[in-house]
Amino acid sequence: MKKTSLTIIGTLIMMCMVITACAPAATPTAGPSPTPVVIKETVVVTPTPAPAGPVTITFWHTYNEVSPENKMLVETLIPMFEAEHPNIKVESLVVPWEDFRRKLFAAIAGGVAPDLIRSDIIWVPELADMGALVALDEAMPDFDQYKKIMFPGPLSTNYWKGHYYGLPLDTNTKVWLYNKEMYDAAGITEPPKTMDDLVAQCEAIKKANPNAYLFAADGTWAWVMLPWIWSFGGDITDPDVTRASGYLNGPKTVAAYEFWLKMYKDGCFAPVILGSGIDPWTGFAQDLYASLDNGPWMYPIFEAQFPNKKLHASLFPAGDGGSINVVGGEDIVLFKQSKHPQEAMEFIRFALSPEYQLKMAEVGQIPVRMDLIESDYMKNHPYYPIFLEQLKTSKARTAHPAWSKMDEIVTNAGQLILRGEKTPQEALDEAAAQIDALLGQ
Amino acid sequence: MVRALQISFFDWNIVPGQVSEFVGLNNYVRTIHDPLFWLSLKNTVMYAAVTVSGQLLFGLLVALILDHVSRGRVFFRTVYYLPVVTSWVVVSLLFKYLFNASPSGLVNYFLVDILHVLSTHIPWLNEPKTAFVAIYCLGIWKGVGWTMVIFLAALQSIPEEYHDAASIDGASGWQIIRHITLPLLVPTMILVMIMLTIGAFQAYIQVALITGGGPLHRTEVLLSYMYERAFRDREFGYAAAISYVLIGLVFLISQVQLRLLKSEPMY
Repeated sequence: MKKTSLTIIGTLIMMCMVITACAPAATPTAGPSPTPVVIKETVVVTPTPAPAGPVTITFWHTYNEVSPENKMLVETLIPMFEAEHPNIKVESLVVPWEDFRRKLFAAIAGGVAPDLIRSDIIWVPELADMGALVALDEAMPDFDQYKKIMFPGPLSTNYWKGHYYGLPLDTNTKVWLYNKEMYDAAGITEPPKTMDDLVAQCEAIKKANPNAYLFAADGTWAWVMLPWIWSFGGDITDPDVTRASGYLNGPKTVAAYEFWLKMYKDGCFAPVILGSGIDPWTGFAQDLYASLDNGPWMYPIFEAQFPNKKLHASLFPAGDGGSINVVGGEDIVLFKQSKHPQEAMEFIRFALSPEYQLKMAEVGQIPVRMDLIESDYMKNHPYYPIFLEQLKTSKARTAHPAWSKMDEIVTNAGQLILRGEKTPQEALDEAAAQIDALLGQ
Repeated sequence: MVRALQISFFDWNIVPGQVSEFVGLNNYVRTIHDPLFWLSLKNTVMYAAVTVSGQLLFGLLVALILDHVSRGRVFFRTVYYLPVVTSWVVVSLLFKYLFNASPSGLVNYFLVDILHVLSTHIPWLNEPKTAFVAIYCLGIWKGVGWTMVIFLAALQSIPEEYHDAASIDGASGWQIIRHITLPLLVPTMILVMIMLTIGAFQAYIQVALITGGGPLHRTEVLLSYMYERAFRDREFGYAAAISYVLIGLVFLISQVQLRLLKSEPMY
């Protein structure tokens, strides 16, 4: 029997290692604060008593550690806030998007959730549904004041079952970004206006350089696929989010995937979509990929990484459904486990102030205040106008607590199709049935 | 531990204080009907079979060679043992780069551009079969040093007289190994096998970092699958049930192997 206990201990140690391996890494600015203790069992860890001096609130976000956004937040904005509020210290933590949910859930289970996070808009319904978030419309006495000045689209992403669980922090969408040098070399004078233009452009690009690709993306997840599905006139579910059958496997969505399959097979779309080869941005900078669709945050990052390349943008090519891209953006939400909700709300107010919003606009974050969006600053900006134009037709992903699972189903369907293991119709029929089952729950 | 057992009977909500629904044995029944669970189990068993035998074979080989060389033994022992003490995270990332799909991946570069064994660059980590090649290689390479050290110790505890007596009787080098050394090593081998198997069933970091279980969950092993369920899909009850199935399996296998050890005649 000794072996059993060894095994059990071994497994436990393994689990602990696995979980602690996910404890968020400290950022350079991290001040002295209690380290989150995450243990295997879902036991609430007794909080360390608040020190008599200034209180520390934690703020998790997905800005890249070395990005201009993170630099602005950590070196300019947080010091500004701390100068105005000497009793509050803000600890900012970088958590990569891919790991964010895992780390967050581990922290919640351990009772050490951060006070605030900059949440992808699509996670808010799920977190609210779990009972992890504070309903801000109840907790903030001045909530309506903010609600009034927010852009309605981003604001609506905070709404779940009768309450607002957060406030918008930034908004965005993707546009068509093209490599002017490659277009010139291939004799292409104008960015594509329709899906048919893409086919013609691909031929020209391939003629100029057989090793080049027209378009690259980093996977088949919904964030990549939705602009194509919508622009072809398809969708994932019905407008009320009750079923996927007839939508995800409807003729228009199938047509979008058939177009993708053809483009992939013809060597127009790069194999990096299935994971092999050079990543989209590097390939774009090296004149291998002629176009991408991406967001405004890429401008400052691209400028810093590839200073001798310039980005050129146009609206996403239109199909039967128009030129529709996907609305992204982030909300700021407050956790019930926060020990300093008042101080955290003070930071929310700061994050929605014109100063904060305009500073973040300098590094690619589109503001969410109506007064700023309609300002001359935005209208005369070098690259925001095209995004604001695209935002007029862009649509939001499905607001549902099971979105992450739906996204995985969509991702897998795309993989099966491009790998040639299933036809678009077969793969989408199955995916639609799986999502139906999810929504039926 | 007990708490995890409790969780495995619930549709567990991780937010402390929120209500969780009691679902009885549902989480366990679900494993039976979950094709991805079976796939990860199969992958885990395959991983154990390949890496354990690989480590035994190469570890023994290296130990036999080192036992016979007199110069540089310490140096080679250190070289082979280094991977063992290196962090899994570091070596997993290293292997991920080695097996990179692009022409810049070292393995591709070596096989295609230097040796010309292959004609095109292989996207190693995009296909389950080739991805497992990378994962198996890592598992074996990392463990060989450990088995080598144990075997070396066992080899050195075999009295010289046995070998001397055999060579006086006219036995060749191979005959000595085959009829004297190996039989004497059997108990050590079984012990090493048990330890390695337990370790192999707990493979996680290498899979998580090299393929993340993908593409399409096809390289998932039990622990990585459990982790996905728990921390990506928030299905903590189901994940706890999977971890208990895993514990049960490891217990069973080590029991069988222990029997083996007891039934071996001791010299």
